[in-house]
Amino acid sequence: MTRQAHCQTVSLKVLNLNWKSHTPPVDSSSCPLPSLHSTLRRILRNCSTAATGSSLQPPDVPRLAETARISLTPIEVEEFTPKIRQVIDWFGQLQDVELQSVEPALRADTEAYNLREDTPETFENREAMVSGVPSYEEPYIKVPKVLSKE
Amino acid sequence: MPSTGGSRILENYRPPFDATAVKRVKALGGIVVGKTNLDEFGMGSTTEGSAYKVTSNPWDISRVPGGSSGGSAAAVSARQCAVSLGSDTGGSVRQPASFCGVVGLKPTYGRVSRYGLMAYASSLDVIGCFGSSVADAGILLGAISGHDRLDATSSDTGAPDFTAHFPPADAFGAKPLQGLRVGLIRETLDSGVDHGVTSTVQRAASHLEELGCTVKEVSLPSFSLGLPAYYILASSESSSNLSRYDGVRYGSQAAAEELNSLYGDSRARGFGAEVKMRILMGTYALSAGYYDAYYKRAQQVRTVIRKSFKAALDENDILISPAAPSAAYKIGEKKNDPLAMYAGDIMTVNVNLAGLPALVLPCGFVEGGPAGLPVGLQMIGAAFDEEKLLKVGHIFEQTLQGHRFVPPL
Repeated sequence: MTRQAHCQTVSLKVLNLNWKSHTPPVDSSSCPLPSLHSTLRRILRNCSTAATGSSLQPPDVPRLAETARISLTPIEVEEFTPKIRQVIDWFGQLQDVELQSVEPALRADTEAYNLREDTPETFENREAMVSGVPSYEEPYIKVPKVLSKE
Repeated sequence: MPSTGGSRILENYRPPFDATAVKRVKALGGIVVGKTNLDEFGMGSTTEGSAYKVTSNPWDISRVPGGSSGGSAAAVSARQCAVSLGSDTGGSVRQPASFCGVVGLKPTYGRVSRYGLMAYASSLDVIGCFGSSVADAGILLGAISGHDRLDATSSDTGAPDFTAHFPPADAFGAKPLQGLRVGLIRETLDSGVDHGVTSTVQRAASHLEELGCTVKEVSLPSFSLGLPAYYILASSESSSNLSRYDGVRYGSQAAAEELNSLYGDSRARGFGAEVKMRILMGTYALSAGYYDAYYKRAQQVRTVIRKSFKAALDENDILISPAAPSAAYKIGEKKNDPLAMYAGDIMTVNVNLAGLPALVLPCGFVEGGPAGLPVGLQMIGAAFDEEKLLKVGHIFEQTLQGHRFVPPL
């Protein structure tokens, strides 16, 4: 059995679709090491993305920011959106890999979780924890009111 | 001791407990000299992502030390301390070790407790060791390894003395690594890799052959898929892990009239740009309807990569590759181009996906800087096979002629 066949226990079929998106606007003058550019171009070339419009909407950065509870400034939205889109586009290449019968791996190992006994313990440095709270009024951690959303 | 994770959101934060790894170092008499700089929350490959300062590479202060554990690598390289700890989620110990000309060791996932490690991507994070010699890194690993009931992913596999079986230098003999099967990963020598790095690594392979190894090229066909899979998993998990930084229980808090603004403003003010972007990308990838397309597929790619590494390591004792496609580049070079920065992780991320141990040790130089720029060789072992990796690394290091890896400071 060849080493190659032995290595590939799952068959991987990468469809040969053309990379539809533009290559990222990388300014070669800002990167005097041409090799890293070629790496990037090679990775982008070798990968494929769904050629047809998929059912996945492009990222809506302001909405994502709301979900993630980060107040972005309009300048940040403007700056981040093209970069995020570029990276999400790049993620899209996994759409075309054949993964039909492959089990998703939660993490590297296959050992079962080692759960410890569910016995309560007193944390010995409660005072340090409490002194780290920004707004504290014994025994409450203070937060501003929650406005109800319409 | 103040611990910020390189972020403003933890400015003035003092943890009320020691990480298990730190506790163990102290219990054995180790002296904690201080904390080092890093890319914010481990996200980055240059240490320029720190909210505080930029760390310079001791070999050329106009260049980056690598990242995210660039400060820990630079500190050992500059001989400010004997050894240091870092974390490796996608190469953050190994790549700076290569850039700074020091030894960097990434243990098997589960070898070292993650209790007290500020979580970035929980299925990938490990604590790693830096040293100026393989033996020192091995001693530190021995100190921090072992099962910890406070980390459910910590392995039951015992913690041996990793350097106990190092043969003494005068007992090496002519071919101290006779019979060792080494696989050189073909996909890491492609045209995208700096020519100087490739030739240095090939010279390292020849050195291994002189020591008695058989070196053969090995192909890992799924290799290039690891990079996007890694970034999907890492940004997704980080979006969840960093949700704890809400300005309420610790860290810095923005003034606000209303709770959602408290969260939003504290996080907006406290997080840097790269962290914000990764949280947003992770939020997207985990959104309802998108989980299957991104996160689940990335998990499946992880299975494929695990299996391909396992198969390669059934046929070989260790696998070797460069640790990075180039030597250290200039500060500011990669700042505005996330994909170009991510591309530099190609050599390291697959090892995290597979959960395997890897050792990086300096093996040569390329041109640049006042005295040349160091290049690291990465050696990858089977799960929990750190002892073999360290022994091979030690023998390689002790027999490597003509190089001194001390920066011209």
